[in-house]
Amino acid sequence: MQLVFLLEQLVNGLVLGGYYLLIALGLSLIFSVGGVVNLSHGAFYALGAYVSVEIAKYVGFAPAVAISPVLVGLLGVLFERFILKRFYTADPILGLLVTFGLAMVGEETIRIIWGAAPQPASMPELLKGPVILGNFLFSKYRLLLLAVVALVLVGIWFLLNKTAFGRVVRAGIQDPDMVAALGIRLQPYMTTIVVLGVGMAALGGALFAPIAVVHPAMGAEIITVAFVVVIIGGLGSFWGVVAAALLVGVVRGITIHFVPAAGEASMYVLMFLVLMFRPRGLLGERMEKFE
Amino acid sequence: MSAALLKSKHAPLWIGALVLLLLPAAMNVLGQTTSTAAFLVTLTIAAMGLNLLVGYTGLVSFGHGAWFGIGAYAAALSQRHWFPDQILLPILLAMLFVALAAALVGVLMLRRRGVYFALMTLALAALTYTISFRWTEVTGGEDGLGNLQRGNLGPLDLDNQLAYYTVVAVIGFLVLYALHRVARSPFGHVLVAIRENEQRATFQGYPVDRYKLAAFVLSASVTALAGALTGFQHYIVSAETTSIIFSGELLAMVVIGGMRHILGPAIGVAFYILFREMLSIWTVHWLFWFGIVFVSFVIYSPNGLVGIWERLRRHWYKAPSEAAAMSNRKLYDNLALPAFLRPDPVAGPVLQVEGVSKHFGGIRAVEQAGLEVSAGEIHALIGPNGAGKTTLFNLVSGMFAPNKGTIRLWGEEIQALSPDAICRRGLARSFQITNLFQDLTIRENLRLSLQAKHESRFNPWRDADGDPEINAETDALIRYLGLDGIQQTKGGDLSYGGQRLVDLGIALASKPGMLLLDEPLAGLAAAERERVSNLIENVSKEIPVLIVEHDIDRVLAFSQQVTVMNQGTVLMSGGPEAVRTDSRVQEIYTGTGTPVVSGRKTDAAGTAARVLTIDKVNTFYGKSHILNDVGLDVNEGEVVALLGRNGAGKSTMLKTLAGLVPAASGSVVFGGRELVGMPAYQAARLGIGYVPQGRGLFAGMTVAENLELGRLARGASGERGVVWTEEQIFDFFPVLKDRLDTPADYLSGGEQQMLAVARALSGDVRLLLLDEPFEGLAPTVIQDLFTVFDQLRLSLPVVIVEHNLDLVLALADRVFVLDRGAVIHTGPAKALLDDLEYRKEILWL
Repeated sequence: MQLVFLLEQLVNGLVLGGYYLLIALGLSLIFSVGGVVNLSHGAFYALGAYVSVEIAKYVGFAPAVAISPVLVGLLGVLFERFILKRFYTADPILGLLVTFGLAMVGEETIRIIWGAAPQPASMPELLKGPVILGNFLFSKYRLLLLAVVALVLVGIWFLLNKTAFGRVVRAGIQDPDMVAALGIRLQPYMTTIVVLGVGMAALGGALFAPIAVVHPAMGAEIITVAFVVVIIGGLGSFWGVVAAALLVGVVRGITIHFVPAAGEASMYVLMFLVLMFRPRGLLGERMEKFE
Repeated sequence: MSAALLKSKHAPLWIGALVLLLLPAAMNVLGQTTSTAAFLVTLTIAAMGLNLLVGYTGLVSFGHGAWFGIGAYAAALSQRHWFPDQILLPILLAMLFVALAAALVGVLMLRRRGVYFALMTLALAALTYTISFRWTEVTGGEDGLGNLQRGNLGPLDLDNQLAYYTVVAVIGFLVLYALHRVARSPFGHVLVAIRENEQRATFQGYPVDRYKLAAFVLSASVTALAGALTGFQHYIVSAETTSIIFSGELLAMVVIGGMRHILGPAIGVAFYILFREMLSIWTVHWLFWFGIVFVSFVIYSPNGLVGIWERLRRHWYKAPSEAAAMSNRKLYDNLALPAFLRPDPVAGPVLQVEGVSKHFGGIRAVEQAGLEVSAGEIHALIGPNGAGKTTLFNLVSGMFAPNKGTIRLWGEEIQALSPDAICRRGLARSFQITNLFQDLTIRENLRLSLQAKHESRFNPWRDADGDPEINAETDALIRYLGLDGIQQTKGGDLSYGGQRLVDLGIALASKPGMLLLDEPLAGLAAAERERVSNLIENVSKEIPVLIVEHDIDRVLAFSQQVTVMNQGTVLMSGGPEAVRTDSRVQEIYTGTGTPVVSGRKTDAAGTAARVLTIDKVNTFYGKSHILNDVGLDVNEGEVVALLGRNGAGKSTMLKTLAGLVPAASGSVVFGGRELVGMPAYQAARLGIGYVPQGRGLFAGMTVAENLELGRLARGASGERGVVWTEEQIFDFFPVLKDRLDTPADYLSGGEQQMLAVARALSGDVRLLLLDEPFEGLAPTVIQDLFTVFDQLRLSLPVVIVEHNLDLVLALADRVFVLDRGAVIHTGPAKALLDDLEYRKEILWL
């Protein structure tokens, strides 16, 4: 009985962690290539949820979940070209400030278009209900989510590590000057990474719309969690962020079970504990610019 | 109000008092209530508290809502449980509680700076919010804590809006007065120094961690005071006050107002409140417009409204340019070292370094080094680039602790002490790369050092500019250094030479008993070099000096002892004459005249068509003039060497050619195209191949992947230049064939160099730039590379920077010698290769 319960909590925690991962990984990627900590990342996540709910009314659930990240990604192109680009070489604090302002603008934009009340979001009948695996009872939709997150994770890993695109990006993170000296123009790669990052956030929003509450402040709520994950994992570290997202998800899931009110506080306590022993996060490396 | 009042140093107080007096009436005229006026003042208190941290100390907090909210809750709870109907005691208690909490949290969070610190404060606000929202028994949860009492204060019934405003206004004025004093105090000046350059403040002897913690605690307490006042104003405290949104808005107010001015936050708060009140008449989405305004400020005017005002003022009244400022400079000859800088006379050894080693990863930067500096002497530390001189300085001054060995100052071991502790014991240093407070005046740069030696350095209350003793000392030092008349110029506005002098001055102002100077003469004009080296000689009679300097003539002329380092170890120590005549020392500087390689096999191909023409190129790093009207040309089929001392501008020349450092003026014509103004990737596609110093390989990627990146974006047709195919690469460097799947960072130094060259040559290259290609390589590898470079001349011209003269002269056809950014000699390499005397004349003694 105890084992069953633990396993269930573990799976719930993993789902929660996967959800954080979609947001935190994009945040970490954008940070790695551009050196900007994107506080408006939550706004893209919220936008992803709203856009998918909106277009699901016309095209149905699955297409909406696929189209929404693409549309939000296109917005990401403008974001990178007109705003973010100016801050790659500036004081990182200015990047924080400007994206904070954009988060404010994004949230209000949602209020202007969709109003302040939560939006109803539904999932297809097919995905409702539990699935029974041996002795365990899992929600179908949550298992599906976990699978999608795993797929995205593998895809991003493959892209970064096994393709020429990924090699240019990684080389650009290490030494942008040397990349330019080999005749490679980094700008389009930066744009692509930003689009991927905000696209992942939008995908997270679209996927979680049916099981979370779609409301204007959802972006502001997720962004702090995403930062906690990134700080615990270490800014810019792929596996650090993966590990931290799952860890935070599981810790939070288990805490909620025992002391529901302390669920959110638990991850901050975890963060302060990690920072006490590893000031740069689990797998973070020293980067002079951000000290 | 008279102009004199506006210009007085206490102007912010007068302005503040006047505004507080008129505010309720002004707000009523604008259609706002007295209650809104009180709220405006309260928010201003919070924003000014935040600005002490953000604007003065340079620590950006995204989470001050936490302190605001905790202050509010603490005041509400203490009124409820302990002091019913009272208001002042609960407020004081709340401030005390927050001060304590901030001290605890600060110790943990201030271990980090910059972005990490900002993100942690963000998390702190989120944590506070969830606690106040969820811990219903204490905080009332969603409902908050209501039924607070304002009570009476003497005859004042605080439920009356005007009475409450009066109390808030008085408190607001007291906060302004207190922060005004703190900002002007020695303590406040140190906070600004930390913002501008924390490292230098440490080396001036300030324990910066204590200052930062004190600023954090003070800032949090002031913000908590505002939080408590807000609670009583609304008769209720709710979780919203601790939300991240509020924290961010508070920060936005500070930024919009202007964080570099004490009244900036007040302007920002007024802007915020009026913006909100006015716009919310028209639209409920006023935050949308506020966000847009905020974003525009960050992009176009990070210093806020105050910054815009200052820009306008500068536009109207042109500030004196630097040239004008320099012309006001007054020099006094033969001044004696001011008395307050003279340490108690001592004899015998002052600084003793024994068996010191420092390793970074696998690199042995310093190995078993030792030297001894005695009273009354100038001790020169010389050696080629990379010898470990600056690392030794860093070990002695406490920047790093050595892995092994002892360092004694007046007999006491100091190798385990922090830089500020070492400075307080009497050892001060200057920096090789100019390290001063760019945004502060010359006077303030020097005054900060003197203040650190004064017992008032922690004082948060007295006026830092009003200390007659420190002022007199600063004046005397400014005259002594020859900076009189330009003392109000900002450090960053000075020429490079001027900055070097201020850097030296900062070290001297620490009243040291032992002075370390790292290349104090670099970048100075001839007359200035003469003056400053006389000054150093003059200083050394009282204070022993350990000096690193590349002007070897001068250094041997004025030093009593010389230590020569090479590759991390001490080669010899002795008098200047012994060093000058020592054959080993000459060898490391000018070579032996016998190349370690077998000579060149090829010669310049006949055509000699011009490939590259550089004309009057000037390049700057900030204010530092690195390349000065450089002219240079390269022909088909030749190897051209750039020679010169460390810092002469050789690497910068290559980077300018590769487009990595923009040239400020001049022209670089390459294959009929102008390269100046062209981004690096385009220059590379036109055929500039670049192999940087340190090789620039991508760690974690294999040899094959590094080569692939070399081919990715440049032409592979070979129509215009050289394209090495994989077969050709293996022809030249067979060893790479077996290493294709090895990560580049696992290769030996020689293999790495081969890979870097092969990568540069794998896409349509018409000119190859090599920066120190033989650095740190074994003789057999050097031979291999030499042969390859020798043959390369047949297919494309090469520009090489290399400090091993025997090698580079054997390889090159022509040389250009750079000194302080200008070409001082051009000619065939052969003459310098064969005639050692001629070589010394051109290149060294």
